[in-house]
Amino acid sequence: MNELTHGFRIEAEKCHGCMACMRACPTRAIRVKKGRASVIPQLCIDCGSCLAACSTGAIAAATVGFAELDKFKYKVAVVTPALYTQFPLKHAPAQVNRALRELGFDAVWEYAVDIELIDLAIRKYVKNWSGPFPLISNSCPVVVRLVQVAYPTLVNQLIRVDAPRETAARELKRRYSKKLGLEPSEIAAVYIAPCQAKTISILQPAEGGGSSLDGSVGISEIYNDLLSILRRGPAEDDPAGNGNGSSEWFHWGAPEGEFPSLSQEHYLPLLGLSDIIKVFNDIEKGKIRNIDFLECHACQGACIGGNLTVENLYVARTRNLRLISGLSLPSQAMGDEIARRLSEEDFSLRAPILPRNVEGRDIDLRDRVARKKRADAMMKTLPGLNCGLCGAPSCRNHAEDVSLDRAETVECVFLSRDRIDVLRTIYKKTARGD
Amino acid sequence: MTGAELLRETFEIQGRDFDKAGEISSEIKVTLLDLGIPAESIRRSVVIAFEAEMNVVMYADKGTLTFVLTEEEVKLDICDEGPGIADLELAFQEGFTTASDEMRELGFGFGMGLPNMEKNADDLRVETEVGKGTSVYARIRLNTHG
Ligand code: SF4
Ligand code: SF4
Repeated sequence: MNELTHGFRIEAEKCHGCMACMRACPTRAIRVKKGRASVIPQLCIDCGSCLAACSTGAIAAATVGFAELDKFKYKVAVVTPALYTQFPLKHAPAQVNRALRELGFDAVWEYAVDIELIDLAIRKYVKNWSGPFPLISNSCPVVVRLVQVAYPTLVNQLIRVDAPRETAARELKRRYSKKLGLEPSEIAAVYIAPCQAKTISILQPAEGGGSSLDGSVGISEIYNDLLSILRRGPAEDDPAGNGNGSSEWFHWGAPEGEFPSLSQEHYLPLLGLSDIIKVFNDIEKGKIRNIDFLECHACQGACIGGNLTVENLYVARTRNLRLISGLSLPSQAMGDEIARRLSEEDFSLRAPILPRNVEGRDIDLRDRVARKKRADAMMKTLPGLNCGLCGAPSCRNHAEDVSLDRAETVECVFLSRDRIDVLRTIYKKTARGD
Repeated sequence: MTGAELLRETFEIQGRDFDKAGEISSEIKVTLLDLGIPAESIRRSVVIAFEAEMNVVMYADKGTLTFVLTEEEVKLDICDEGPGIADLELAFQEGFTTASDEMRELGFGFGMGLPNMEKNADDLRVETEVGKGTSVYARIRLNTHG
């Protein structure tokens, strides 16, 4: 298995060992040993919960630096619609695009057409699907990774249609290489991202294929620069934009709006990891019926609430609604473009999405059962208090860690009392204030 | 043919307890997931366990679910002391149900139980006697494909 790429770094020196991240992690990927947090890579789904829970700044999101993009001759920004909700409405999307160009991008790709195309592709996929329902959207990388790690039985229900940001990247490379006479490899498609999970999906796509995007820049990374350009800049036309002004892309950043044209009756929007987990549990039992399609976003408020956004979620949401209400009907040109690409392009994922190979599942079944029995037996010796002092989020996790040789039995403070003294020295050193 | 028995566990199912219904199938899922059983086999086992559990909860006072893992398959034996099924052929028809309106309002008893189990099992056997109870024996192979 290839080394997994993740969107977070934990800086050990800054970590106080407070365990907030360990308790927040939905896949129990974090351990806090000797007063320092660390991640079990195969279990991490890049949701960012640990980042949000960390109060010491020890956990930081990793994005591709702006400077790394300089090796390209032509840089095109592929903008998440969430970006436009981050600024006061007087800074219209066209002006935000202008500010992006002033910042160093050569062009800004408005991917209303790509979104419309994927919408059509998804509808067709749902209609022709003969396997178990519901199908699950794959646009949020965290949801895809959650399925791979914790719901392997549902991987086939992840819809195998590309994300609009990917079809946008492919199309813009075709378009600009033709127009400018450049090699596609000389053109950078850079995603302006609401979360680092999308960065990870570019660096390491879940389906194991490649990404057509070349990197990403987090909204929060360029927010201040964009804002200062917007503040001083006059309202101007948008000569280098390729959009037709239909602003249709706003649907895509919004909850309950990913696929507005799917049947309302048989489609269910789901927001937030804890709700998604509840519903996935029910799907596995076959309890959710008559739903064709689940639109899932790990963040409350969908991408508008991503962990690299800046604005208060509800302020941004209001702006998004205002932007949507100002939508004009798609132009004739846009309709023609959709028809052209629909007939020429293939929107299916380039490679299948498979369950992630989680540690210890690859040995002989007999040994796996023996190991489980060992963990079950050990559970009986543990208090069931889930205090976390062993460094695992629950007694069950500690028992499993021991059965996987990832931890030692005696790390439980109930089983060996001198552990408390060890911890006392560790935490005395790290504690600040009181 | 079925290989050595690796794991066996028996769960009690409490009839009419809709609140707890589904807990046993969840537990089976977690076990199978921990053991790294192929995803498709887990999916089918969980659907069958859930349907069986629901049938006991809906119609019987109590029952048991026995889960057995061998090197080749998952066996699920569900036995209840319920009213039994008068017409087994009818019960295997999709959409046929004897559930009350109330049960259906709760989202249960859409007449998909037995047909759904049959669809997901590699082998399904039902023994039933009116007034005595019903036993369902399901086998799910540990297939690596899919
Ligand atoms: S990103 Fe999410 S899954 Fe990964 S360690 Fe942090 S909380 Fe856990
Ligand atoms: S909902 Fe959007 S912002 Fe949040 S993790 Fe998923 S893709 Fe990222």
